[in-house]
Amino acid sequence: MRTDLLIVGGGPAGLNAAYKAASYGLKTIIVDKWFSLGGQLRQQTQSYDHLPQHFAKLRGYKLADFLIDRLKPLDVTILEKHTLIGAYSDGSVGVTNEKDILPIDAKNVLITTGAMEEPDIFPGWTLPGVMTAGAAQILINRERVLPGKQALILGSNEFALEVAAQLHDCGIAIKGIVENRSELLCQNEKLIARISNAEIPIVLNGVIESAIGKGKVEEAYVNHNGNNALYDVDLICVAKGITPILEPFEVMNCDLIYRERLGGWLPEYYGNFETTNPSIYVAGNAAGITNMGGILLTGEIAAISAVESLNAASTVQIKEEKEYLWNELYRIEYNSVLEARLDVINELHNEKDAQLPPLVDSLNGRLING
Amino acid sequence: MKKSYDVIVIGSGVVGSSIAYHLSESKSKEILTIDKDFPLSGTSGSTQAWVWVHNKTPAWYGELNMYSAELYPFLERKIGDVEYKRTGGIAPFFSESDRENALRLAEKQAEVGIKVEVLSRDEVLEKEPALSHNIAGATYSNIDGNVNPFRLIELYVRAARKNGAEFSFYNQVIDISKENGMFKVTTQDGEYFSNQLVLAGGPWSKSMGKLLGVDVPIKQVRGQIIVTEPLSPLLTHTIGGMRQADNGEVLVGYSKEEVGYDRRSTLDIIQDTARMAIDFVPALEKANVVRCFSGIRVMPEDGFPILGEIPGIENGYIAAMHSGITLSPLVGTLMTELLVDGETSIDLERYSLKRFNTIQSIG
Amino acid sequence: MDKSTIVCRCEEINIDEIESAINMGAHTFNDIKRLTRCGMGPCQAKFCMNLVRKIISEKTGQSLKDIKPPRMRVPLGVTRMSALASNKASSVASVFGESAEEGETDHEEEL
Repeated sequence: MRTDLLIVGGGPAGLNAAYKAASYGLKTIIVDKWFSLGGQLRQQTQSYDHLPQHFAKLRGYKLADFLIDRLKPLDVTILEKHTLIGAYSDGSVGVTNEKDILPIDAKNVLITTGAMEEPDIFPGWTLPGVMTAGAAQILINRERVLPGKQALILGSNEFALEVAAQLHDCGIAIKGIVENRSELLCQNEKLIARISNAEIPIVLNGVIESAIGKGKVEEAYVNHNGNNALYDVDLICVAKGITPILEPFEVMNCDLIYRERLGGWLPEYYGNFETTNPSIYVAGNAAGITNMGGILLTGEIAAISAVESLNAASTVQIKEEKEYLWNELYRIEYNSVLEARLDVINELHNEKDAQLPPLVDSLNGRLING
Repeated sequence: MKKSYDVIVIGSGVVGSSIAYHLSESKSKEILTIDKDFPLSGTSGSTQAWVWVHNKTPAWYGELNMYSAELYPFLERKIGDVEYKRTGGIAPFFSESDRENALRLAEKQAEVGIKVEVLSRDEVLEKEPALSHNIAGATYSNIDGNVNPFRLIELYVRAARKNGAEFSFYNQVIDISKENGMFKVTTQDGEYFSNQLVLAGGPWSKSMGKLLGVDVPIKQVRGQIIVTEPLSPLLTHTIGGMRQADNGEVLVGYSKEEVGYDRRSTLDIIQDTARMAIDFVPALEKANVVRCFSGIRVMPEDGFPILGEIPGIENGYIAAMHSGITLSPLVGTLMTELLVDGETSIDLERYSLKRFNTIQSIG
Repeated sequence: MDKSTIVCRCEEINIDEIESAINMGAHTFNDIKRLTRCGMGPCQAKFCMNLVRKIISEKTGQSLKDIKPPRMRVPLGVTRMSALASNKASSVASVFGESAEEGETDHEEEL
């Protein structure tokens, strides 16, 4: 198969990029390993505050439907249940549906494979009943299955609190949110108020010492300020943050870089979101962990870069698009994330002696000047 | 760490580690082995690790491999369980026209004492029922087998350390020179001196040789190997191109590509290899492939080991070869004899670097 | 933490085994992986990647930014042999006459 743009990963970044690219006439293919598109949006029931101006405020799964539906009239081929497994020596990629390998020869490849949840370990973590917060969320919101009756949440970031609230709403008793630091990581006041109204205890300076049980979690010891307390729980949800998925970038021979603020290791990229391997682009959480606005906008910027590389729009159009998108990114993305992102971009342009796009350069200044 | 040694070995792969271990046995030499990375990070850690003899030709080369394979049981008694298994080796052929070649091979190998049988299709299938019914026959020898390369090299290093040998890892050699009759090895971490120097850098021997002004005529050859999930017992022998490991994983590899030090896996080769795997053992069709890996092999220009003194470099030695796993027990033994006594129990003349006539300058 | 706590679930490798490899001198994930099999199983280190990096950092004092992820292997995701072999014509070649230890040499008998 030949195409202008191959998008690997049909989550919010990939879907939004497909819309933009196909709107400019690029023949686009999306491959996604799951049986339906939407990625993590599929099990998000909350709505997002920080979205770009051209998006209405929607709940996660509704946003997924919106992003998918608007691709229908466009030249976008969707290959669900297809996984990228590797690259050929001529640079084309192979995707599989578990029966055949389909080689795809794409002029541009955009990798939007997102992030995965960070695990944490303690004695007994391999018992059934210990799972990531994301897994618990899939069970309640997609599978309509209760993962337990009484739960501990390990970690206190925004996602941890969101899942705690959602599990509570399903009737699961949350016995505690255990955080090893001395303060909550989540800074979303509304969410903190929800947790407080639900009378969910917050255990700061706490660690899970061990989970015990015969064949499944039955109890857990929590060390709080040096004292061990026994909790009667059958579910432990681990929410220790997320980190970009790296495998596709290694297979495509893209250089990696480490930035803690962006979630750990991630592919290096230029101001147009192109990686160190020419015509391989990155966007979304794979380009550094960000909020939903950042995920959508980086997808669009990468798509515009692909449009530009194929001369599929006028210089003026491209300039206008980019200006709007970067300004929106500046408005929406957390400053610390945008700073770290620009740092990655600056470093690569420096290293390769490549000129920085003026827009990115001006953002550098705006961030410094607050 | 000291600065001055009797012997410095560069390279801690299977060859370098074996030389360090065998030298350390005498406890008469102070030894330092330097590696730019860590043992198993290069060629020795990315191999199917056959201990393979029977169809290596000419017979004199097969003989060298046989002597080494015969040392494995003794080695294991000294350094511990390296999971060496003399499974017997089967090299299938698919066309009747190969039978004549097979018979000639058996005859030649018999002259040096390598017992090779030429099997009919039925005989092969009796030995190894999982093989394809499309094969015409195979050569077979009970001398062949395999080893766990991870255990082998780990135990060479542990045993050498126990005997007092030192190792320095993640320490790239930058320069080699001679000062007052001693070798001065400059690395990223410092300078070390020695009376004797052994180049055992596998595919990287070429660049080590350059530091001494010596051309080491080897090529880098990439081999890509695919690994299945653990399967129930399927193969009992080491088969041309594949073997089943103790944990049930089947390793398959046939490819050889000259692509320098590029260690990526490419789908072109992986898919060809998968096809070959099924053609040889049809039951593998349903197996899941978990991972693939590539190794950069050493290939001397004429295919045969380069062993012994480096002409023109007094007290300089080299050990570079393709079949490092098979040959390491013997090479370690012979190089120790050479470094300690100045002569070897097996004549190494035919393996000398001299045969290439490529000495450029004298260091 | 209890040193017998599992880190790599696929290959059942615990903290103690990883620390032993570090004590032997292995300071990268790839080197620990070859010694212990940690990260070599079906999930290919997806789960233990950062757990092992953290142990290396704590044990050796290296900063996390200097500890690379392990090499990630093709195929991404477990793949059937038959799928890999699809659209490939059968090309059985005899391996007879080749010695094939670490990639196959090819010495023709000189007659």
